[in-house]
Amino acid sequence: MSTPVVQYVLPARVVSRADMTRLIRELETVDNELEQQKARHQGSSGHYQLPTLSQALSDFLTANKLDVGDDHVRLDLKAQLRKLKDHAPVLHMTFATEVDPESMQSITAWVRRELHPQALVSAGLQPSLVAGVYVRTPNHVHDLSIRSFMKDSRKLIVEALDQLKEPAV
Amino acid sequence: MTIWWLSFIIGSLVAVLLGFVWIAVKLGGLQDGGAKSKGGKKGKSVADLDKAYSDMAEEDVNHLFNKEFREELRNRGRLRFERIIDDNAMFLKQDLDMTMSQINEYMKEQISAKLNTEFANYSKAMSEAQELTIAVLQKTADDLQQQRQALSESMKKGMTAHEANMMKNFETNMAQVVEHYVMQSLGEQFDMRAQLPYIMKQMEDHKKEMLEDMLL
Repeated sequence: MSTPVVQYVLPARVVSRADMTRLIRELETVDNELEQQKARHQGSSGHYQLPTLSQALSDFLTANKLDVGDDHVRLDLKAQLRKLKDHAPVLHMTFATEVDPESMQSITAWVRRELHPQALVSAGLQPSLVAGVYVRTPNHVHDLSIRSFMKDSRKLIVEALDQLKEPAV
Repeated sequence: MTIWWLSFIIGSLVAVLLGFVWIAVKLGGLQDGGAKSKGGKKGKSVADLDKAYSDMAEEDVNHLFNKEFREELRNRGRLRFERIIDDNAMFLKQDLDMTMSQINEYMKEQISAKLNTEFANYSKAMSEAQELTIAVLQKTADDLQQQRQALSESMKKGMTAHEANMMKNFETNMAQVVEHYVMQSLGEQFDMRAQLPYIMKQMEDHKKEMLEDMLL
């Protein structure tokens, strides 16, 4: 019987599954470091010397009010993060141009605020979209690009041509 | 004709010679006859007389037909003979000229007739060849005209069909062409920050569908 996934708050810097993987790897590195300190009896008093954490891990720990110095917390966090990485809903978003980190964080924040708090977003690039985004949810695709908009509006051009072909009264 | 004229000339010469011979014989006969008629009447005197007459006659002959007279006769005969020869030569020349002219006329007629016949045949053959060539050319021109008409109609049909097809394709693909043009024109113009409001608005509009899908 598997334990339910804890509803962690993901920071804005953790956007994609790759970010989650990096987060887990860093957490494992921190755990190893702290275990080594424990083995060397440096942390026997319960005060470990924490290594330098990345901004993403630091934001994650802060947002979830977690103490990484606690062995149980670290153990549970690693398991939960692995589960989260495997089960969090992923939103694939394809853009027409390269996405800067600020825009990506802004979009991710909207997704987690409006759709799912632990959603992960993976970004792709397709210049033929012209502008807009092509969103692929777990079961559906939503073409929100200019290309799709123009394709839907193609009948307007045909109607305009038909009007041009009619003799002027 | 030449042989006849030559025979005539020779005959004339022979006749003149015979005339001279006849005159000489006649004169000789007259001389002999006179001597015979006088011989019976008187014997010796007759003979003498005859001799005297003969001498006289001979003398007269020599007197009448003396050297100048004979020469005169000879000259006259020569002149006569020359005149006859000239006349005959003139006749011969005239006949020859006439013959030559006749021969020329005959040759002209024959050659003209032959040439006319040959020309007629040649002209007929040329005319037939010309008619045949004209017929062949006419047939070729008709065939070409028919082929040209067929080709023209075929090309016209093809052009009409092609034009209709192009118009159909144009009408069908015009929107796609415009869309492609707009895409190519605007594709590089929007950066992400410019697109972000549009993206957020579109996602907001489709939030409900995405939310339902995420919560499944």
